[in-house]
Amino acid sequence: MKETKSEHKAHSLKIRYPRRLIQLSVLSILIWIPLVTMNPHDWSPSRIVLGHLPPPTVREISGDTWSFTFYGFRLTHPVAFFEEVLAAKVVYIPFAVSVIIPLMVTLLLGRVFCSWLCPVGFLLELNQKLNATLKKFGLHYELKLKDFRYIILTLSLLFSLLFAVPIISAFDPPHVFGRELIYIFTHKAISLSGVGLLAAIFLFESLSTSRAWCNYFCPSGGALSLLGAKRAWRIRMEKDRCIYCEKCDRACPYYLEPMRLATGGDFNWTKCDNCGLCRDACPTGAITFRFGRRL
Amino acid sequence: MKTAQISRRSFIKELGFLGALLFLPLNYRDAVIRPPGAGKDFLSRCIRCGQCIEACPYDSIMALDITAGALAHTPYINPLKTPCYLCQQRGPDGKDRPISKYLRCGEACPTGAIRKILNNKEVLAKVPEEMKMGVSVLNRDICLAWKYDSCGECYYNCPLKDKALRDRPPGELLEDITGIRPYVDQRYCIGCGMCNYVCPVKRHIAKSYMDRTIKLTYFEERYAAMVRNLIGAAGESVKLPAIRVVLRP
Repeated sequence: MKETKSEHKAHSLKIRYPRRLIQLSVLSILIWIPLVTMNPHDWSPSRIVLGHLPPPTVREISGDTWSFTFYGFRLTHPVAFFEEVLAAKVVYIPFAVSVIIPLMVTLLLGRVFCSWLCPVGFLLELNQKLNATLKKFGLHYELKLKDFRYIILTLSLLFSLLFAVPIISAFDPPHVFGRELIYIFTHKAISLSGVGLLAAIFLFESLSTSRAWCNYFCPSGGALSLLGAKRAWRIRMEKDRCIYCEKCDRACPYYLEPMRLATGGDFNWTKCDNCGLCRDACPTGAITFRFGRRL
Repeated sequence: MKTAQISRRSFIKELGFLGALLFLPLNYRDAVIRPPGAGKDFLSRCIRCGQCIEACPYDSIMALDITAGALAHTPYINPLKTPCYLCQQRGPDGKDRPISKYLRCGEACPTGAIRKILNNKEVLAKVPEEMKMGVSVLNRDICLAWKYDSCGECYYNCPLKDKALRDRPPGELLEDITGIRPYVDQRYCIGCGMCNYVCPVKRHIAKSYMDRTIKLTYFEERYAAMVRNLIGAAGESVKLPAIRVVLRP
């Protein structure tokens, strides 16, 4: 036993560090964009007619995680693209070009948007600590939930197909978050629906099941799960190194129990979003990230 | 055998019904003023990303709230609050200069829900009709210029001056007039709402005379009195201001 421990050590470079860095930079970019594109507010547009306006701010940077523009270079969330195509029944070529990079990333690396980029996912990860603290004081009401993600996704896609109105953006918290920032900086206002949804999610996850939104409700996360199901970049368990300590099972935010890969159980590859928390928790370094087919 | 035929027929009928549903709502347009370049398929193509709201240089574009139901967070323009300035900047010499090559909202839209329109007054006047925001309608009965010969704000502030708004109607013979008699040319009006915004025939201007809460100059008092007379004569049911933007039929 001692020999195995000295032979196999935990990974010294935690995958958590680069992930936190990317999450923080996405969050700061989301705040930075409306800040620099904000128009001067020391004049009141309701009092001044054309002819007395100060020079307006024109910068071709805009958007959030749903759709992003940087001087002609565009990125679009794959769900937004599919939904728009279903609703409009036409494919707009520049829009289709903008979705290529995110779609390839999702197909190759899986649902990395949720774990590496999503600002709300980042804040919910931090919220897990508050959840644990409240649990100590007895403020915790565990609820049994089922995976509603695909049902919500199917219903909203059907809605956009039948009524030609795309609506998933209303249930996509990272986009709601970015949009609220846009409203705050451009009109000094917030929208009730957006702030209400975010507040409900954070309140629920502080007092009840942590990561419940990502686990059971997020429709765009569900769509990314389906797209990334056959991904190339996966966790890989080296069975001879595993000491069956169950630390990875406790670390997984989606309750997927990665130790099943060593014991030979069924692992839900679709739901895994390559966050790497099980890899960081493993004391012997049995879990690694590799490109290639699943084991 | 017979039952199978019936069920198949009903199945095909249902399929046809569904197919009809697929293409029915595409031409649906609701009763708010959308940004310039929003065509008939605007609602089906808008993914509510909010980039037009962010890109608008005068913050004219706002988003619908939750009371709009499934259309929440789609962009609209309220000309009474902030009209569309058509991405123009008026210099000290009184000439408008475009501040960008294209209208900013169309440039920012990723899906083509808002079409790119070249920011050039010749082009702006000849935009296809379904891509225009609306059209201005002038009520001559309550227009200060037509009644008292004492206004012309809409004519002077129109971004498409002398095309969309003229200083007098072309066909009509009006002799012995010196002032402005505004006339909307519906072929060129893009519906930006500038005339709607600057028109003084509004209830709060009439009211400022009655309340005497604000200290008004002699001319302002006369102005407010004329507005009050016009609104009073027209009755409560009249739609204000005298020149309004309405959606095209």
